[in-house]
Amino acid sequence: MSAYLAFARSAFHAQLAYRNEVWANIFGKLVQVFARVAIWLAAFAGIGGAVVDGVSLQQMVTYALLGGAVMGATRPERIINEIGRSLKSGDIAVWLLKPISYPLYIFANECGSFGYRLMTQVIPTVAITALFYGMLPPASAFDGVMFVAFWVLSFVLLSLMSAFCGFIAFWLMTSFSLDWILGALLQLFSGLLVPFWFFPEPLATVARHLPFAWVVYYPNAVYLGRLSTAEVWLHFGLGLAWAAVFLAGVFWLWRCASTRITVQGG
Amino acid sequence: MLIHHLRVLPLLVRMHVRSQLEYRGAFWLDRLAQILSYGSVFATIGILLSRFDTLGGWRWPELALLFSFQLLAYSLGAAMSFTQLRDLEELVRLGTYDTLLVKPFSPWAYLIFSGLNVGYTGHILLAVPLMGWAVLSVDVAWTVPSALFFIAAIISSTLLTAAIITMIGATALIWVRSNHLFSIFFGFWELTRYPLNIFPGGIQLVLITAVPLALTSSVPVGALLGKPIPILGDWAGAVALVAGPLWVLIAMAYWRYANSRYQGAGG
Repeated sequence: MSAYLAFARSAFHAQLAYRNEVWANIFGKLVQVFARVAIWLAAFAGIGGAVVDGVSLQQMVTYALLGGAVMGATRPERIINEIGRSLKSGDIAVWLLKPISYPLYIFANECGSFGYRLMTQVIPTVAITALFYGMLPPASAFDGVMFVAFWVLSFVLLSLMSAFCGFIAFWLMTSFSLDWILGALLQLFSGLLVPFWFFPEPLATVARHLPFAWVVYYPNAVYLGRLSTAEVWLHFGLGLAWAAVFLAGVFWLWRCASTRITVQGG
Repeated sequence: MLIHHLRVLPLLVRMHVRSQLEYRGAFWLDRLAQILSYGSVFATIGILLSRFDTLGGWRWPELALLFSFQLLAYSLGAAMSFTQLRDLEELVRLGTYDTLLVKPFSPWAYLIFSGLNVGYTGHILLAVPLMGWAVLSVDVAWTVPSALFFIAAIISSTLLTAAIITMIGATALIWVRSNHLFSIFFGFWELTRYPLNIFPGGIQLVLITAVPLALTSSVPVGALLGKPIPILGDWAGAVALVAGPLWVLIAMAYWRYANSRYQGAGG
């Protein structure tokens, strides 16, 4: 366990070493969050209403800010590219010699990066934009607590999905396309830009049942009080079930992939 | 010297394209993935418009024209610059850039043409049909001058995209690291899928001056559609046409300056 904590700490410090990048990333993230809010302000202004489908403008601004917070700290492409790079360079073979689990190492590494991005990018950018545009508090204390739980679940689920896609590269021999395909699915079905309550049917129903919904949509919907207490627990359970499915998938793929590795040269 | 360069350039391009196409299956899978990715961005904007009708006064076919114009101009400009200049940081760090300086060949030309990225085929395959549909769907009375303006605007936007990317990449020759500047570039680039007037005044100003990516998207398309353009007003069309060549001259001067400041970082 201490080895994985050390990996997480190392990933955190490694990223902190490049100060210029910290400032550049904060700036880039700030622009993105401002833009997302601007899109909703323009959309509501176009329709000339303060409430659309029972959702107020202030709720949508809060949704946009939370979307930046929930998704901002996790970088799926980092996990997929790390696996792809290890596969291409042959470093993956070295991990088989070590008395540690490669999937757990990947997760520990991402935890360190998550902590770094949370502290240096997400919290500052959301705080600044919230001061500028205003942000609603959680609908209730219960929703606030459950939002944090859903956020943790979102991070774990997204990390598992990314690792799952990354390990498929053992068969396709390219991680590039997997990164882009996962990005496409998240763009459309996570609710990052447009929440599902604005989706047309039956697309909204389909999107609500896909695992990507637990990455942005459900954490934000819980924060805004869009789900009843029973629905919150039900969807938390379903999210855990999706995480278990991807966890089993990751370890199954890793086991299959391990038997496929052929080392040429050295 | 020029004839020597012109003879070598097709060889460099052919060599790189053949290496990129070595694994055909993986190459086309990557392109399909990129089409899916940009397609999903476009679908998200479509879902938003299906509920809200307009965004900043722009309707669905107009936003489709904006999206396809931005994607096409970016892909043509980036094919000539992005991956090559992004990798310059690594060349500088490892000292490999020194080997380009001692070749009897322009380092810029070698870098660009030996890395010409045909991977942007996916972007173009999505942007061109979408643009064709949008051109026929928008409420514009197409005339010879408006069609010529549209083509000239795409060329100018392509040049401007390549110029900005070149300047960012060339910064590695001075600072060794430049890739963090690309994250700022792409942060702003994503904004240019949307009309300029929906953003706060500060972002509008940045998108026209310091990071002039609005001039590669909503400014020329807005001028064509007769939309009000913030800050530039009636000058929008003219500025969009001049911006590309002007920024190429600035990028050329900056490239020379960065090379004069280069001291080597690897060994």
